[in-house]
Amino acid sequence: MTTPILELRQATKLYGGVPAIESVDFSLAEGEIHALVGENGAGKSTLTKVMAGVVSLSSGTMLIAGREVVPRTPLEARQLGIAMVFQENSLVPSMTVAQNLFLGQEKFYNRLRGIYIAAQQFLQSLNFDVTPTATVAQLGAAKKQMVEIARAVLHEAKVIIFDEPTASLTPEEKKYFFDLVRELKRRGVSVIFISHALEEALLISDRITVLRDGRHVVTDDTANFDRARVIQAMVGRDLSKTLYAERKAHVRPPGERVLTIENLRMAPMVKNNSLSVFAGQVTGVFGLVGSGRTETFKIAAGILKRDFFHGGEIVLRGRPIRYLTPAPAVRDGIAYVTEDRKVEGFFETMSIARNVYMGLLAKLGHRRPLVLAKEAEAVGKKWIEALNVRAIGQDVKVVELSGGNQQKIVIAKSLVQEPTLIVFDEPTRGVDVGAIAEIHQLIDRLAEQGNAVVMISSYLPEIMARSDRILVCRQGKVVEEFSAGEATEEKIMYAAIH
Amino acid sequence: MIAALRAFGDRVLGRGEAAITVPIFDGALKPNQMLADAEIVGQFDDANDITTDGKALLVADGEQVVRVGDAGKAEITRFDRGITALHALPDGGFAVALGGAEVRIVGGPSDGRRWTDAGGTAFHAVNAICNRSDGTLAVTDGSRRNDCAHWTHDLMERGASGRLIFLDRGSGAAREGADGLEYAFGACASGAETLVSESWRHRLLAIGPQGRRRVVLDRLPVYPSRLVAAAGGGFWLTAFAARTQLVEFVLREPAFRRRMMKEIAPEHWIAPRLRSGQSFLEPMQGAHLRTMGVLKPWAPPRSYGLVIRLSPEGTPLYSLHSRVDGINHGIVAAAEIGGFLYMLAKGPSRLIRLALPDIEKEVAA
Repeated sequence: MTTPILELRQATKLYGGVPAIESVDFSLAEGEIHALVGENGAGKSTLTKVMAGVVSLSSGTMLIAGREVVPRTPLEARQLGIAMVFQENSLVPSMTVAQNLFLGQEKFYNRLRGIYIAAQQFLQSLNFDVTPTATVAQLGAAKKQMVEIARAVLHEAKVIIFDEPTASLTPEEKKYFFDLVRELKRRGVSVIFISHALEEALLISDRITVLRDGRHVVTDDTANFDRARVIQAMVGRDLSKTLYAERKAHVRPPGERVLTIENLRMAPMVKNNSLSVFAGQVTGVFGLVGSGRTETFKIAAGILKRDFFHGGEIVLRGRPIRYLTPAPAVRDGIAYVTEDRKVEGFFETMSIARNVYMGLLAKLGHRRPLVLAKEAEAVGKKWIEALNVRAIGQDVKVVELSGGNQQKIVIAKSLVQEPTLIVFDEPTRGVDVGAIAEIHQLIDRLAEQGNAVVMISSYLPEIMARSDRILVCRQGKVVEEFSAGEATEEKIMYAAIH
Repeated sequence: MIAALRAFGDRVLGRGEAAITVPIFDGALKPNQMLADAEIVGQFDDANDITTDGKALLVADGEQVVRVGDAGKAEITRFDRGITALHALPDGGFAVALGGAEVRIVGGPSDGRRWTDAGGTAFHAVNAICNRSDGTLAVTDGSRRNDCAHWTHDLMERGASGRLIFLDRGSGAAREGADGLEYAFGACASGAETLVSESWRHRLLAIGPQGRRRVVLDRLPVYPSRLVAAAGGGFWLTAFAARTQLVEFVLREPAFRRRMMKEIAPEHWIAPRLRSGQSFLEPMQGAHLRTMGVLKPWAPPRSYGLVIRLSPEGTPLYSLHSRVDGINHGIVAAAEIGGFLYMLAKGPSRLIRLALPDIEKEVAA
């Protein structure tokens, strides 16, 4: 047997005495695509951060090509041939795409034009449609992800770790990405691939390692896995039947028309968009990145503004509305649960209780001029229990929680406002399967209580399993509506692309 | 003053009343081809309304009332003027509106009773009649200025002179239930209230015995017309045309409308019609109608056919459509009998029908 290019033996990492990973064995062969799966909090990120030199092991050893190494910084890891594409964006927003690509590889004298030309050629070779002269801050989530990936490839790493690389990519972009990963494999590069989309792991990887609660559960060839076995290994229980049922067994009938959007415009993203949302139903909204779906509902929630002149009409329960800030929308019962929880969803250094309480304060406004510590504690406690947030206590900072639990906090922050129209934007992006099931149950429960629920998602099985009606957006407007009964993945995708 | 300033601001910024927006056909109003595929029962010269006495279907065709059955068409009676509304009465006979200016009862205990005015104002465009449980008739008089045939003129003049009138069959008294309606077109009893379609406001009102108004359904993407009670509870609401942004825009331009009405033949106005595609002189609706030789069914329609199934509370449950590429447009009346839903498509002046089980099956799919 050949020596693994990367190996971890009995790897343990303790945070304040609590193990994030414990006695984990892991090996990666040369030219192998190895998927690392597990619920949020299972220890995947910690394991890969150890490899990438972001954190050091508390005990255990790490070997590269049979040689024991202890990378203390990402730079040291990179010099050892290990690069990591982080789930959280690690680009410098004020710099251009090209500057970000060559960051750390600058020469004494850098000719900007030369960098741009090189970046252009390199991005084109990867089939990535990103302008090298664009500032990173101007890019959407998908394009930022592309730049991250391109940077790792550019550094000619022997091992590239992708943490949730496809979460913000469109289906077409995902295809390019998979082709790229296969090309890396052909060149002899080893890839560690962390993803919550199990189909992707099953599709692209050679081997799969499953972690649960910081411990190694199983490693096997992908051919020996199916979806049910992976899920069972991840959560210790069989969720496959309930998570993405092929089709809803019962479609909820429409209630009162809660929201009507008529000919909404916000150049250049929203173009003459019209739709309705009904009480007692989950309205699924599907579209590729840039289709204007998020922007449409952000306008309804007062986060973005429509065009000033002839920007269309938004009607909430028969009353025309035009919010200039989110506060009046919150008071009128509209909640928008963001797709980008790390940037827009919570205050990461504040406690769970304070974050949830912040949502309540947003609703109460001037009626609650003082922050009442006891009330904040009570609210935090209530919602930790209600949404089954797994945390040591309500004083834990949100940044210390796993992705699934962070998402629950974002949702709690909105639900504490007792909204009647709730817009979930990518509610399960970067969330483990256990939390996905809980969030889905919550979405169903909210609709059954008579609320109008909108679920924006790029994940077709999720849209099809949860929605009572499905709206498809393309180029800034709704182009097609499907009932839950008639929708198929092919029909939805056709409407979204053609 | 504030209202005037707000209206001015709305006009400048294109918001509120001046927003040239049209609601979308979605949810329960999601388009389908069910009306386009409906069975044709009969062709008429000038059909205006249909009703049923529970045994047969009656059609008001020009000046005559025709019974339609399995054996074909048979004339029941003929009048000296065109019939603009027809309603079969539960205790026998029927009520008709003649020329929009007179309501008359034919047959039954109130045979021969007639009304020509209410509240001191003569009827002008009576277009729908319904019977209430207390024995009174609820009648909609669309406009005081324009007769039934000139409904387009009323829309272009932004008419708001429609009335709901209650006629007491016992005493012969007539009283106004509501005034100032923007083209009242269709009435149906709903408990103590009467549901009334207000076509130019695209809404359905519930009007109480004392005139108290309640909006049941508004912001419809169509011009609603007559409605009837459905056997399974709730109502069938018909709509004779769909709204378009082009027409909404024209309705906010008085000078343009005045000139258009003065200089252009009514059939070529930028206005909704009961049927379209008859002449190249017809105005486009602000989008390409035809692509690669195929008429786009989702193009803005000049004429349209729609029937909406409402719950008892007035919530739309589902709908039946004939889109731009269809012909069964201008649906103005519906009646349920013998397991079928009969509808009058005034555009092609034909009676069409769909089996209720087929409708339910199609909707469930």
